Amino acid sequence: MVSIRARNVSLEYPLPRGFRLSAAGRGAVGGRFSRSGGEPHVTALDDVSFGLEAGDRLGIVGTNGAGKTTLLKVLYGIYEPTSGSVEKVGRVDALFNINLGFRREATGRRNIVLRGLINGWSSNEIDSRMNDIIEFSELGDFIDMPLKTYSAGMSTRLAFAIATSFEPEILLMDEWIGAGDKAFQNKARTRMEEIVAKAGIIVLASHNESLLKRVCNRIVRMEKGRVAWDGPADEYFNRPEAGESDSLPG
Amino acid sequence: MLQLLQRAFADIGAAFKLKGVWMALASEDVADSHRDTLLGRLWPLLNYLLFTGIIIFIFDRTAPGVNFTAYVAVGYLVWQFISETLTQSASLFIREAGFIQGTVMPISIYVLRQTMRTAIRSAYALIGAVPLILFSGIEINTAMLSIVPAILLLLVTAPAVAILFAFAGVFFRDFQHIVSNSMRLLMFITPIFWVRGDGGGLRGLLYHWNPLTHYIEILRQPVVGGGVPLSSWAIVLACTAGMSVAALLLLGKFNRRIVFWL
Repeated sequence: MVSIRARNVSLEYPLPRGFRLSAAGRGAVGGRFSRSGGEPHVTALDDVSFGLEAGDRLGIVGTNGAGKTTLLKVLYGIYEPTSGSVEKVGRVDALFNINLGFRREATGRRNIVLRGLINGWSSNEIDSRMNDIIEFSELGDFIDMPLKTYSAGMSTRLAFAIATSFEPEILLMDEWIGAGDKAFQNKARTRMEEIVAKAGIIVLASHNESLLKRVCNRIVRMEKGRVAWDGPADEYFNRPEAGESDSLPG
Repeated sequence: MLQLLQRAFADIGAAFKLKGVWMALASEDVADSHRDTLLGRLWPLLNYLLFTGIIIFIFDRTAPGVNFTAYVAVGYLVWQFISETLTQSASLFIREAGFIQGTVMPISIYVLRQTMRTAIRSAYALIGAVPLILFSGIEINTAMLSIVPAILLLLVTAPAVAILFAFAGVFFRDFQHIVSNSMRLLMFITPIFWVRGDGGGLRGLLYHWNPLTHYIEILRQPVVGGGVPLSSWAIVLACTAGMSVAALLLLGKFNRRIVFWL
């Protein structure tokens, strides 16, 4: 059974050299600055704990710099927590920057192979997904042309088709991804809903309240690196102060 | 310390499991630099032959007891490998920032990708070097067998240097500029185009105290008939061992932390 368990996760990271601590530190957004042992650092996450089981759809909300993306990156494994631990059972896939690693000079087909390898797919998996990806992207013969001949919309279609061609057990998303023109957007939305339906666990960071309402059954609100609120989604959206929440309407 | 080494080996082990990734990326890198050109992958080979050809033609070929053609052919081949490793490594993690911040691949993967790319380019140059050396009139001898371990040693040293330089380049951003500016100077103070002569004076000092000399000599001496240079071997083995330990410790300490400095 898939699960994610974050236990007392804290993350501190060093500040760039030459950074003046006195000039900052009391802003409304971002982590907290501090100085211990002479090294200035940011506390991006502070004692974050929660557990997710199969079927859980967690929405992470909070103002800019509250730690939403940082939390996702810790869950994914890009950042190692300074203290605490993250235990994951199941394969974790992330949809962060779907254009990462595209090579302009290589053909669309070659880019599918390269992205697949980077995602950790075996050659067999890449072969078996190749046709689906090409078909979904609707690129036709362009798939054998170098990526530099693509329009921005075309390469986004390809990126989306590759990124969503798997069946994730645990899916981490920093904002909902959509792509392309009107016709493709509908297709992309359907594909995303399918993935969400199939995945064991979803963690979605977003400001879009109606999306969170539709997708999530649980909400964690981050505030300066701490969990400020944690509970069922309907309870979160129906709480008395919900009208003045930081989420964008619609 | 044991823990750091364990972390480092775990990182390297994970990278070797993903060898499809770095081998594919390295060959793309090489292909990219010559795509759409008429001569394509012949360029590294031509580049090498043109440069060594000119050097052999204009420099002093009358050094006593030295086959200058073979001397330059091997020296420049190894130098290209060393030079590309040093300059590319200093900016390695900075160039790969997008990947490091966006994927969970072990960072050794970028080191192996770069070593592979440099090795592929050197292999193309080697295609030019072999006939050049054979036609230079050298004699085949048993000491030449030591070329195989010498190549292996270079291939093991390159990732260690790459790790050290790549971390240095992130922590100290001026480092990559220092390295790229030093390379031209290094090319002249390293015995590639000049021969040590009778062993004295400034040339002798530059020859002996420059560790790069010895990395070149372990390949060059057996080719030009100087036998297996045992003292050079002792020096390079000590250097590589020291750098490898330092590289492993750095890798173990910062492999998952470097992302915060990018």
